[in-house]
Amino acid sequence: MIEQLATMAPGPLHWLVLTALLFAIGTYGILTRRNAVGVLMAVELALNSGALNFVVFNRYVAPAGVDGQIMSIFVIAVAAAEVVVGMAIFVVLFRHRQTVDVTRMNRIRD
Amino acid sequence: MEYELGFALRNAWLILAIPFLSFLLVGLLVRPLSEKAAGIIATLAVFASAAFAYAMAAEFLTLGAATGWKTFVPWSFEWLRFQERMAVHIGVLVDPISILLLVVVTTVSSLVHLYSLGYMHGEAGFGRYFTFLNLFTFSMLGLVTAPNLLQMFVCWELVGASSFCLIGFYFDRPSAVAASKKAFIVTRFADLGFLLGILILGYFGYQVAGEVGGTRQAFDFLFLTDPVVMGKLNAIGAGILGIPVLTLALCLVYMGGAGKSAMFPLHVWLPDAMEGPTPVSALIHAATMVVAGVYLVARLFPLFATSGDALLVVGYIGAFTALFAAVIACTQDDIKRVLAYSTLSQLGYMMFALGVASVEHPLGYTASMFHLFTHAFFKALLFLGAGSVIHAVHSNEIWRMGGLRRKMPVTHLTFAIATLAIAGIWPFAGFFSKDEVLAAALGSGHYGIFGIGLLVAGITAFYMSRIYFAAFWGGARTEGASHAHESPVIMLIPLVVLAVLSVVAGFFPIGEFVRFGAGHGAPHGINPAIAAAGTFAGVLGIGLAWAIYGSGGTARAEALARAFGGAYTVVRRKFYVDELYLFVTHKIIVRFVAAPIAWFDRAIVDGGVNLSAKGGRLFGFALGSLQTGQVQAYGSWFAGGAVLLVLVLWGLQ
Amino acid sequence: MNGQAASTVFFYVFAAVSVALAVATVISRRILRAAVALMGVLATSAAFYVMLDAEFLAGVQILVYVGGIVILLVYAVMLTRSSELIEDRPSGRRRGAALAVSTLFFVAAAGAFVASRFETLRPGALTVSGTTEIGRRLLDQGSTGYVLPFELISLLLLSVLIGGVVIARTNPDKGEDAK
Repeated sequence: MIEQLATMAPGPLHWLVLTALLFAIGTYGILTRRNAVGVLMAVELALNSGALNFVVFNRYVAPAGVDGQIMSIFVIAVAAAEVVVGMAIFVVLFRHRQTVDVTRMNRIRD
Repeated sequence: MEYELGFALRNAWLILAIPFLSFLLVGLLVRPLSEKAAGIIATLAVFASAAFAYAMAAEFLTLGAATGWKTFVPWSFEWLRFQERMAVHIGVLVDPISILLLVVVTTVSSLVHLYSLGYMHGEAGFGRYFTFLNLFTFSMLGLVTAPNLLQMFVCWELVGASSFCLIGFYFDRPSAVAASKKAFIVTRFADLGFLLGILILGYFGYQVAGEVGGTRQAFDFLFLTDPVVMGKLNAIGAGILGIPVLTLALCLVYMGGAGKSAMFPLHVWLPDAMEGPTPVSALIHAATMVVAGVYLVARLFPLFATSGDALLVVGYIGAFTALFAAVIACTQDDIKRVLAYSTLSQLGYMMFALGVASVEHPLGYTASMFHLFTHAFFKALLFLGAGSVIHAVHSNEIWRMGGLRRKMPVTHLTFAIATLAIAGIWPFAGFFSKDEVLAAALGSGHYGIFGIGLLVAGITAFYMSRIYFAAFWGGARTEGASHAHESPVIMLIPLVVLAVLSVVAGFFPIGEFVRFGAGHGAPHGINPAIAAAGTFAGVLGIGLAWAIYGSGGTARAEALARAFGGAYTVVRRKFYVDELYLFVTHKIIVRFVAAPIAWFDRAIVDGGVNLSAKGGRLFGFALGSLQTGQVQAYGSWFAGGAVLLVLVLWGLQ
Repeated sequence: MNGQAASTVFFYVFAAVSVALAVATVISRRILRAAVALMGVLATSAAFYVMLDAEFLAGVQILVYVGGIVILLVYAVMLTRSSELIEDRPSGRRRGAALAVSTLFFVAAAGAFVASRFETLRPGALTVSGTTEIGRRLLDQGSTGYVLPFELISLLLLSVLIGGVVIARTNPDKGEDAK
């Protein structure tokens, strides 16, 4: 089986299916996680798959440049920024409501 | 136009602009600030219109002698364009009868405005009253000067609307509200016929316009009364039920005219319209608006003359109304109601004068316009005089008056002049016009109508003398009558002016320019035999009234009423026409037409609306349950929707 | 087994590990365990970067993501309550809906990828190392340079720093924020 696998060298399609799968898992996490920090982790997962996508395209579509990699660096920077703000919000939220369970954050309904 | 137009005719638009701008100014700006100023400005504006109308008339009279009284449109602009040769213009049409009506309307209107300043003094809604009065004057002038059927119709409805507002002026009285609704609904019902007639005339007129060519628009009077066009319209032949198209259209148009001019059986609104302030009755329901129907027939007279049948309808309905209303007038006790039925009767006179006219015997056309002209003055005078009396006695009942001869000398004198004028006694105005109407009926060979006319002349003299004697002679029958005082000067001036006009209007050589058919001339002489017969009828009526009512007592009148018994009651109840209307509308229309429609409205229409509301509510609840406030639930919907959208768009490619 | 075959096998092995850890990240009820799994996913991503000839990025990934962000997340978990460490299971409806949506997304995306052809638009290879090129491009002021976004990102990070402090600090005037 390993011999068989070894003959299937990964092309852009394989990479992209992998990133799509990671992104789908991230989406699932965003939609189901009850803990806000967990939601944020799922967001990181999705962001990471996006960054990976940039590099995949860089490698297979325009290997003579590094534009995709630079984009990934920006993605990582934005992710870091997002986590910082998210963390700050969660701390305040917890102070106010003694919980970070997003399913109980439904006061928009009233 | 190869002739030089004077200032007034060149700026003919002013005749419409002055009252309209005054209406806006008074109604929107002045009235909220000062009721009194509103009345004064409105009155001044109407006097300005009157002056302008006189200027137009003077220029037209000098011009007309040279041009042969041609009809022309000195000012117009295109308002609506449906198609080529089917555009509607707003404009001012000038011809002898429009000039005649302009003079009459502005004269009576300005005098009524002046009178109202005194009569309405201190009433709540003083400014509102003058606003509507101005609107009415504008509408009436627009109607009179309309160069096409549609402008006429628009102004026709405006006249009806302002009449509605004025009849219902005392809107806190249920009877006034009911009367205004009745007037509006009855005339509106008649206007349905008018509109249908306009549409039929417009439809065939447009076809004919295509055949004839030229630049005339299908709705224009100048187009419709063109001999070639009339010939083609008449040749269209059978329309519905074998009635020729032209006759049908004209009968429908006449239905509108009959509604406005309160011809039988659409007359029921006019007596009730007396609920409005008395000056309104004088202006609208005696001198101006109610003659609109007569004017409409006169305006389309060439067409009516082409289709003889429609004219016969006009003539017989007019004659019947004249007699019918005159008989009712003899039994009414309310002074304004007597005058209202008298107006009906006189309008019948004008209508049958038109009806007996034809291409061969065009005298009736002149006679009708002449009678319209003189009637406007003496009927307005009668109403204003009645208003003066009511103002003093605080009652409309003639049996609550009496002996006002000495207490109100000016009112008495002017009322007497008007009574003599309407009774047709020489040298007052009514004598000449009534004589001409009768001469027209006899001359055209309509002996039956002539007989009715003569009879009506006698009855008219009788019932007018009846209210005159009852109100002014004998002794005061009530407290109010014994303490009556002469009205203020501002109310007396219009009375005197109208009294003078009622005397001299008959000498106005109207036949010189208001005539139909160029070659026939205008026999405006006095036919001695007819004049003698008419005068005899009038004197007989007055004498009879003197014999019964001259003493001032009511004993003889009551004895006479008992003698007539049931017939008297029937007449006093106005031949039960109102009851018949009520029966038809309540018992038949309400039960068999309105009730099913109401059921349909409630069950089907409202039901459908309610059903959709319920459905929406249900749908809303279903959607509302999705509004959990859970961000993740929203996120699921959003993400799923976005992906589905992508798939759909992809699939569509 | 030559080098090419070895890297192919590595790819599949890492992919399987990555997906498994990702699933663990999103379904684990213990939030700290999820954080560790996330760390694993990000680490395998670093390995993917290496396979894709982006060695510099792999380093950044380990340093910033694994070393910084995930640690921050763990801190955040610690700052909240101990009862939050174990999460209640989401409702079945929620999980079903999320599964449907994510599956739909995956099917749609994979379908789109299968239906597309990926051609090499700018063939060739880098003449210098990728790290050098990234450094040059990030500071290049020419038309192909990224100096402006680079500066903007630094501004963003600064404002986030300040914003985070402002949001999270307790108001000294009011003591605890009004409840």
